[in-house]
Amino acid sequence: MRFRTALLGAVALTALTGAASAERGSDGQVNIIYWQAPSILNPFLSGGTKEVESASLVIEPLVRFDETGEMVPWLAESIPTVENGGVAEDLTKITWTLKEGVLWSDGTPLTAEDAVFTWEYCTHPEGGCAQSSYFDGVSSVVAVDDRTIEVNFAAPKPFPYTAFVGSESPIIQKAQFADCLGAKAPECTEANFAPIGTGPFVVTDFRPNDVVQFAANENFREAGKPAFATVLFKGGGDATAAARSVMETGEFDYAWNLQIDPNVLSSMEAKGLGKVVTAFATSVERIHVNQTDPNPSLGAERATLAHPHPFLTDPTIGQALSMAIDRSLIADVGYGAGGQPTCNVLPAPAAYASTANDGCLVQDIEGAKKLLDDAGWVPGPDGVRVKDGVRLSLTYQTSTNAVRQDTQALVKQWWSEIGVETELRNIDASVFFGGDPGSPDTFQKFYADVEMYTNNFAGVDPEAYMANWRCSEIPSPETQWQGSNMQRFCSEEYDALVDKMSQTANLEERGALAKQMNDMLMQSYSIIPLIHRGNPSAHAVTLEGVRMNDWDSEIWNIKDWSRAK
Amino acid sequence: MFTYTVRRLLLAIPTLLFISLIIFLLLDLAPGDPTAQLPLTIPPEVREKIRESLGLGQPVYVRYLLWLKQFLVAEPLHVFDTMFGTGFADGMQRVISWQTRSPVADIIAQRMPQTLWVVGLSYVIGTLIALPIGIISAYRQYSWFDQIGALVSMIGYSVPTFFTGVLLIVVFAVNLGWFPSIYDTTHVVDSWDAFVFQVRQMAMPVFVLALYNAAQISRFMRASMLDNLAQDYVRTARAKGMSEKVVVLLHVLRNSMIPVVTVIALGVPTIFGGAIITEQVFKVNGLGQLLITAIYANDIPMVQTLTFIFAVLIVLFNLIADVLYGMLDPRIRYD
Amino acid sequence: MLDMSDARKLVEIRGLKMHFPIFSGLLRRQSGAVKAVDDVSFTIYEGETLGLVGESGCGKSTCGRAVLRLYDVTEGSIRIDGVEIAQADPAQLRGLRPTMQMVFQDPQASLNPRMTLASIIGEPLDEHTKLGKAEKLNRVYELMDAVGLNRAFAHRYPHEFSGGQRQRIGIARALALQPKFIVCDEPIAALDVSIQAQVVNLLEKLQDEFGLTYLFISHDLSMVRHIADRVAVMYLGKIVETAPREALYAAPAHPYTRALLSAVPEPDPRREARKDRIILKGDVPSPANPPKGCNFCTRCPEVMEICREAEPDTFEVTPGQFVACHLYAQTNSEQTAGQAAATEAHKSIQQGD
Repeated sequence: MRFRTALLGAVALTALTGAASAERGSDGQVNIIYWQAPSILNPFLSGGTKEVESASLVIEPLVRFDETGEMVPWLAESIPTVENGGVAEDLTKITWTLKEGVLWSDGTPLTAEDAVFTWEYCTHPEGGCAQSSYFDGVSSVVAVDDRTIEVNFAAPKPFPYTAFVGSESPIIQKAQFADCLGAKAPECTEANFAPIGTGPFVVTDFRPNDVVQFAANENFREAGKPAFATVLFKGGGDATAAARSVMETGEFDYAWNLQIDPNVLSSMEAKGLGKVVTAFATSVERIHVNQTDPNPSLGAERATLAHPHPFLTDPTIGQALSMAIDRSLIADVGYGAGGQPTCNVLPAPAAYASTANDGCLVQDIEGAKKLLDDAGWVPGPDGVRVKDGVRLSLTYQTSTNAVRQDTQALVKQWWSEIGVETELRNIDASVFFGGDPGSPDTFQKFYADVEMYTNNFAGVDPEAYMANWRCSEIPSPETQWQGSNMQRFCSEEYDALVDKMSQTANLEERGALAKQMNDMLMQSYSIIPLIHRGNPSAHAVTLEGVRMNDWDSEIWNIKDWSRAK
Repeated sequence: MFTYTVRRLLLAIPTLLFISLIIFLLLDLAPGDPTAQLPLTIPPEVREKIRESLGLGQPVYVRYLLWLKQFLVAEPLHVFDTMFGTGFADGMQRVISWQTRSPVADIIAQRMPQTLWVVGLSYVIGTLIALPIGIISAYRQYSWFDQIGALVSMIGYSVPTFFTGVLLIVVFAVNLGWFPSIYDTTHVVDSWDAFVFQVRQMAMPVFVLALYNAAQISRFMRASMLDNLAQDYVRTARAKGMSEKVVVLLHVLRNSMIPVVTVIALGVPTIFGGAIITEQVFKVNGLGQLLITAIYANDIPMVQTLTFIFAVLIVLFNLIADVLYGMLDPRIRYD
Repeated sequence: MLDMSDARKLVEIRGLKMHFPIFSGLLRRQSGAVKAVDDVSFTIYEGETLGLVGESGCGKSTCGRAVLRLYDVTEGSIRIDGVEIAQADPAQLRGLRPTMQMVFQDPQASLNPRMTLASIIGEPLDEHTKLGKAEKLNRVYELMDAVGLNRAFAHRYPHEFSGGQRQRIGIARALALQPKFIVCDEPIAALDVSIQAQVVNLLEKLQDEFGLTYLFISHDLSMVRHIADRVAVMYLGKIVETAPREALYAAPAHPYTRALLSAVPEPDPRREARKDRIILKGDVPSPANPPKGCNFCTRCPEVMEICREAEPDTFEVTPGQFVACHLYAQTNSEQTAGQAAATEAHKSIQQGD
């Protein structure tokens, strides 16, 4: 059976592309280690990277992003645009056409109904779907015929490539999940642990938080692929151990997320068994500068717009703080291959990256001092600058993490050189990012003067990300401290740009707008970007075809992986 | 003895209910949020919906009673159903993990084999090594054997397993390549070669844990033997003209084993608790790793269920230790 | 009083030394020794009871255990029933165990708590005889009868008995192999006064019945007076005086013996009042570091210069009464030739080994 399929596939491939290829499953097993193991293989019920990426071997979206952030048709035949008529002129509808002859791994055909069902599944009010934001603004999904999917938007959608695009918005099989809508979703353990997909592999064994075993999908649409017959997807341990298993013992072929001491990583790489690969997407380690006063004496109005910060609303101070930082040193000390200095909160994709702020790449302590001197901040007896009885004294908080604490120490040193006193705090990540409105230590409450963490956006379109800094996104007691505008930046001009972008479809214009917004944020110095963070992973030198990608699942092209002969 | 055991078991019920309540409240009051581990790209409204779908919207006492019902009624009925093919538990909500959205009990059952294999075996091996070492160390007190035993015990007891574990990996997996550094939980022993592989992959974690267990138990054994060797009845036995073997192995050992057996019994629940650090170091992914990932992910039903099961085991093995003591030592009667 | 010349010597101890090494320092090197028993010689005749008395810690229990080779002795000769056992190996010793047995001080601790009475008494039978199960039980019953224990108790554990009953068990166990010689190591010290007499009477009864020879170790002088035929007095690892009972109690020769006897309470209050009590000053020196010269010189009320210089020889002051004290050295030359010869003979035996 397998031979015949392979033979048929080979014939088909020769016929279609004229290129000969290896036989499906001829390269044995590939061992992948994700030191955080997946808990479930239904990304709609989890949303964690580990779940999304492990599931990406099985279930697929209409379009994926390649390593440059460009869209690649996956289950769709082509990318619909206004020009080719796939996107309606009024930007309220996008029409997708499925590739012909795509089969689910159980042999049944993939149809537009499955996409419609996926939309229903993820937008069910009781389902708690982690990826429901991909369907924001979608008023309906209609199956025009078996291969044509119409996604309708309630309002014009200038960037309509959200629903069913990227690893976080894949299509699940209607037949398998039909009884799992809404509150019943968690009860479908079997489906959640082994979804039926169109991808290159099928789940053969899933052990939550431990290990997943996959086998090549005999019904995969591309002949001769995947080259590997089985995948062992192991979890557990820590990043160092994962790196060791690829680069020192050679037990594994691919290790994910190796954010460890860069020196350790490079000494392991020197063994020659494996190679570190880094993908840079949109993650930026940044310092948010609180524009409101976090003074505890303000009680319930602490860190709200009612009380502007005594000195941090002045961009001069923020600029001096930014100039005092040696970003290259932070990158060397804490990130190695996994980070490079940046002066933008929106560093990529290239079409959206501004170059207007690159002056910050060079540390300038003297310049910073001069700025403060000129602004009338003079050093007091203890070396801390004072103006009108206000001392330049900051509380600097972040999550507990060795690299972050190193960075904090470095920054504290530089700031003390320019006469700014800094008190450091670190908070356990689960509390800091926990969003518990009852806790005073969350990054949303921001009961500190500056705070540091990394944020990013998935996919390639920065529209939603840039909208994070609208006035209405400021967390406050009225919003139960929800919101993404942590530093409480508020500008009508900025809000207008956000609105404008949401009505612009042309990609070049969108790029210009994004850059403009980025520059506005940067020049307000309410955000001090530090490091453009990449995701280092490692693969065995014998593993070929890895195209490290941070715009989609890292292992997005596993169908093309093979073993070096 | 029987009435004593029954009385103790009955007394354990309110104790355990109280423990379960305390665990529940502690977990509930602890800061943390099950959606905290999700990427920041997931918007807060979605997080709120996820929290609601997990049942977090309800008051504490409702969630506690619900958990009690699920754990004490639905789970046992489900076990009964799978054993006898009945349908009593149909439609009953089982304890569901927030991370995996699947029944907690199933995952625990899945994790049990590797934990029992690795942690359990290391306990057995540790005990088997510890007893002779303790006996000889005591019999030849202050000999070189005793001194070396004391040194090894001190090392085994005081050097943390994350250090010995990583050291072993670097030496035996990275440099020598004798053993795998990552435990394969999917490995099936179906042939001699597979068995050899299983032994190889268990060698290092079992060694690390056995060293730790042996260190503890051998010291107990030694102390207990020394206590008994100094007793008059040993002199009596020698005066009776019994051989040294009989004196040491029959008279002294049998009496020395009384406290040691209880110590061993009290240690059994820790097997089920897994060895959080060692499992993590060797990627064994047993119950210890399950607990720690559940804690990190704020998976309260999982943490609650696991800690409660540990509590039950601890209470149970305390009782077993007491009963064993009564059986082994004729001086103790519970009636 | 027994006629010693006719009686057979059952136990002969010559120059027995039992030193326990002391280890100290980082490497646990031997830095000295506790001289618990230091050059002790005595003889026990068949059928007699030798009382061994002395203060706590004087080495009398160690001496008793060393005689039965429960320790590996440092030096000296032990002949029991004509067999030299001082250097016998464990296997040889085991073969000899049936001849010599011991009754211990603490009847609670000396019985294995996890064995029933029947197995405690019967265990030596397993090791040394080839009796069948029924015969063995029968023998256990006989022994229980002999020591006055109810047969119904055979399958109980030691903790279920009273102190006196436990000591009876200990005695029955010692009797199991029909020994000739039994060391009774303070067999009544742990018992109530009311029970002590019962146990002592039982021991006397058994001695008559089975023709036993006892080494009766005790610090209780009145009990020793009751049971012993001859008495040896020990002080700091050495025997200071050996004498027949009547002679010792009537005319103690050694200053230490006198001090000991003066401490025995008198039943008659009038005599008690008239009594001239000798109070010893100071503590017993450490056996690890005994004084130079006579061991008793630090506390002796009649101490002389020579006592601090030289160890005293042993002198026979009256027939059968031997004393190790310099007080008698002065009178030595005036003693009769016969006495001198006897002393000489005694000394030669001591030195000859």
